Amino acid sequence: MVNIKFKINGQKKALNIHDDMTALAVIRSLLKLTGTKEGCGIGECGACTINVDGKAVNSCLMLGAQLDGTTVVTVEGLAAKDGLAPVQKAFIENHGVQCGFCTPGILMSVNALLQEIPDPGHEEISKTLAGNLCRCTGYSQIFTSVKEAARLAGQGDQHG
Amino acid sequence: MIKSQYKSIGKNIQRRDVSGKIKGDSQFCADIELKDSISLKVLRSGRHHAVIENIDVAEAMKIPGVLKVFTARDIPGENLMGIINRDQPLLAHGKVRSKADPVALVAALTDDIALKALKAVDVTYTDLVPLLDIEDALAENAPKIHEKGNTLFTRRIIKGDAKTAFEDCHSIVEKQYKTLAIEHNYIEPDAGAGFVDEDGTLVIYASTQNPHYDHQEVVNMLGVEESRVRIIQAVTGGGFGSKLDLNVQGFIGLALYHLKRPVRYIYTREESYLATAKRHPFIIDMKTGTDKNGKLIAIKMRACCNTGAYGSYGIAVATRAAVHGTGPYQIEHVDLECSCVYTNLTFCGAMRGFGTPQAAFAHESQIDIHAQKLGIDPLEIRIINGLKKGSINGTGQKLTDSVGFHDCLKSVKPYYEKASKDWVKQKTSPFIKRGIGLGGMWYGIGNTGVQNPSTARIEIDLKGRVTLFTGCADIGQGSTTILSQIAAEVLGILPEQVRMVVGDTKLTANAGATSASRQTYISGNAVKDAAEKLASVLLTAGVNKLKVSKSMLEFKDHCIRVSGNPNKSVDFAWLAQRIHAKGGSLSWQGYFDPETIPFDPETGQGTPYSTYAFACQLAFVEADVLTGEVNVKKIVAAHDVGKAVHPENVIGQICGGIAMGVGFALMEEFEFGKTESMKDYHIPTCADMPEVIPIIVESDEPTGPFGAKGVGEPALIPTAPAILNALNNALGKRIYNLPANLERVLKASIESGHFSPK
Ligand code: FES
Ligand code: FES
Repeated sequence: MVNIKFKINGQKKALNIHDDMTALAVIRSLLKLTGTKEGCGIGECGACTINVDGKAVNSCLMLGAQLDGTTVVTVEGLAAKDGLAPVQKAFIENHGVQCGFCTPGILMSVNALLQEIPDPGHEEISKTLAGNLCRCTGYSQIFTSVKEAARLAGQGDQHG
Repeated sequence: MIKSQYKSIGKNIQRRDVSGKIKGDSQFCADIELKDSISLKVLRSGRHHAVIENIDVAEAMKIPGVLKVFTARDIPGENLMGIINRDQPLLAHGKVRSKADPVALVAALTDDIALKALKAVDVTYTDLVPLLDIEDALAENAPKIHEKGNTLFTRRIIKGDAKTAFEDCHSIVEKQYKTLAIEHNYIEPDAGAGFVDEDGTLVIYASTQNPHYDHQEVVNMLGVEESRVRIIQAVTGGGFGSKLDLNVQGFIGLALYHLKRPVRYIYTREESYLATAKRHPFIIDMKTGTDKNGKLIAIKMRACCNTGAYGSYGIAVATRAAVHGTGPYQIEHVDLECSCVYTNLTFCGAMRGFGTPQAAFAHESQIDIHAQKLGIDPLEIRIINGLKKGSINGTGQKLTDSVGFHDCLKSVKPYYEKASKDWVKQKTSPFIKRGIGLGGMWYGIGNTGVQNPSTARIEIDLKGRVTLFTGCADIGQGSTTILSQIAAEVLGILPEQVRMVVGDTKLTANAGATSASRQTYISGNAVKDAAEKLASVLLTAGVNKLKVSKSMLEFKDHCIRVSGNPNKSVDFAWLAQRIHAKGGSLSWQGYFDPETIPFDPETGQGTPYSTYAFACQLAFVEADVLTGEVNVKKIVAAHDVGKAVHPENVIGQICGGIAMGVGFALMEEFEFGKTESMKDYHIPTCADMPEVIPIIVESDEPTGPFGAKGVGEPALIPTAPAILNALNNALGKRIYNLPANLERVLKASIESGHFSPK
């Protein structure tokens, strides 16, 4: 067992976890934040993407112990209470969601991207999202959504 | 542009379920937390074909935390499943027919304990000869996988006299095409959860495309009253056909029945790969003949698909492949046959298109080969042969309305002509070959030649609020939104004012499966019927109040008013109260069953579908002759959907279908026994995707709700044919086996002389 302390969606957490527990299991099973999904468990699909210290990470490949000392954001923490973050608004308005299972992971990848590159081009978006599989949309409306998200975020539309 | 007469239809309204999905609040099965829920795991046979001599669960039962190990003996009702033919046990009985066959079900306090218990179950088998491909299964002395033999089904479609007609044909092309098994690979692995409620009802949350079918199966399996089981469709992360079969519903039902405590079963991706349905691999021999002008005169097809250990939707797949074998072309002499054969592989079932994508690969290759032989342009030959109003298809059905194939060809034409002149000819690196190709498609909406009704119920309460109840599973494609638009259009309210109760067998009526691109057309019509019945009683009450005839009234903003006169109006609440006070009903049921005529069993003549969708896609590809790498640059996709109820949803289907089509064409290959996890199976990422130019063609279907047909499956069907034809155009060499992976493309480029290794 190991003790970890970290911040998730603005809240401080101190947990005692099994050594071999993944960050994904910590988030879903212990913290009951089920917005983050498990699609493969082996780093192939991106459904489990979270932001750790601003970077997009596959939480199924990360050990829970590695969360110690980090700041984590999951889909539940994207927006201020009751509002919507620009990226969420953009995905709704541009029909970037079908079944929605890939959506939280994609939102978190995009969130990290926009923090790093506020106005990404097609190639940059493509490179970022290549690790997030979506079987429903064919990605086209997702690209439109990301571009719109960048525009909205650029306008300073923070929390709807 | 003419202003649409509709208020809700044709509008890109916000998806009903999007808010929860975007915030991470939506509960998929794996997210449902039931207090103290126990864990289930299935022991799978791990052998292809064997007799079960004995199952010893004693050691497993001794493990602390194991609650029960179930075998076939514990199933109180009928241990058989299957929507078309019932041949698949929930837990193996007597023998196993594939490595994935469930032999025992363990219920334990945790996943880890359950996994340990699986290892402790001792099964004694006597192996039988495994039959892994069609040839083995059809060999003379092959053991029987099922009692009735290894050929499950054969569909024949015979019109005219193909044999004689070929004698007079000017151009004859005869080729063999092969396609492999494909994994649906929805991103949500199969999962379910359940509990027993205070009335003793077994409540099961399912990730499903057909909750009412699941309900019948679980009831049947447990031998209980219908009301004892309730299936609730949880938010479902895609299905594409695989979630038409039960995944974990039966296991959860069995555990609930015996143990009466909350359970949960989440497949790992690996179990989902191993145990759920795949797309049928096909071998298609196709012979077609034309006159000297390129007009198709005769077709002969002998196709066979491998359904693995169980039928699932195999009969539907074989039937569709046969019916759609002609492609969207009028051919006078037709001799089509498709069989479905059992083997000892994991079963194959429905997957987006049911055998039509496989058949389309063949017919679209054939027509291009004819064009090439005859020196006719590929677009021109499709125009010469394309189905139109008044055409008679292979089943002898005259197509009377909404035949938009030529409109699709016309929409693609400017892109095609421009690309042939410029894009293909532009200079690239000497090792990059460019090509363009067309893929045509037709697709019958709904189940083939059988009744496939949908029901819906609509209610108004005394406050005037409208609720629509539908069993139609929204698996991400957006049917809940579409159905709300249809109801709203009839009642003159906003779609978001229609409260939706969806996919809960206790509350909703059977809408049939979310498959066969049928929900917009069939359930849409059922919803429209229900809404019109309600509208009619509201109008009658409105007439009494406003003292004008029905024809002078209109629906507007939750009211009925004298047309154009806001001052003479009466609201829904008043009307509902009035109807109720007079003893009238506030709840109305709608029903629709498309008109079909069953096949003649010998000739396959009949009316398999009441309407068809059409499409044509144009692919732009670049092939690297040094590496075999194919880059699909662009796809222009024209789709006749009847009427687009929600155009952005239609575009979503088109783009999603194209992605799946790119995978089918170039990279996807499920190898039984080898493909174990997502590491071994690659679906297109955003980096593999071409630019897509979707074109919606609206050729109103008079029997459709507001003219709508369907698009879910049609979106995928023409993509692989278009890409393969484009590859042929680029390389000067045709590939007959899917996928056109690196090796095949490289081989083709070597054979075509584009590249010769020194
Ligand atoms: S669940 Fe982590 S990448 Fe698939
Ligand atoms: S929306 Fe279904 S997987 Fe992306």
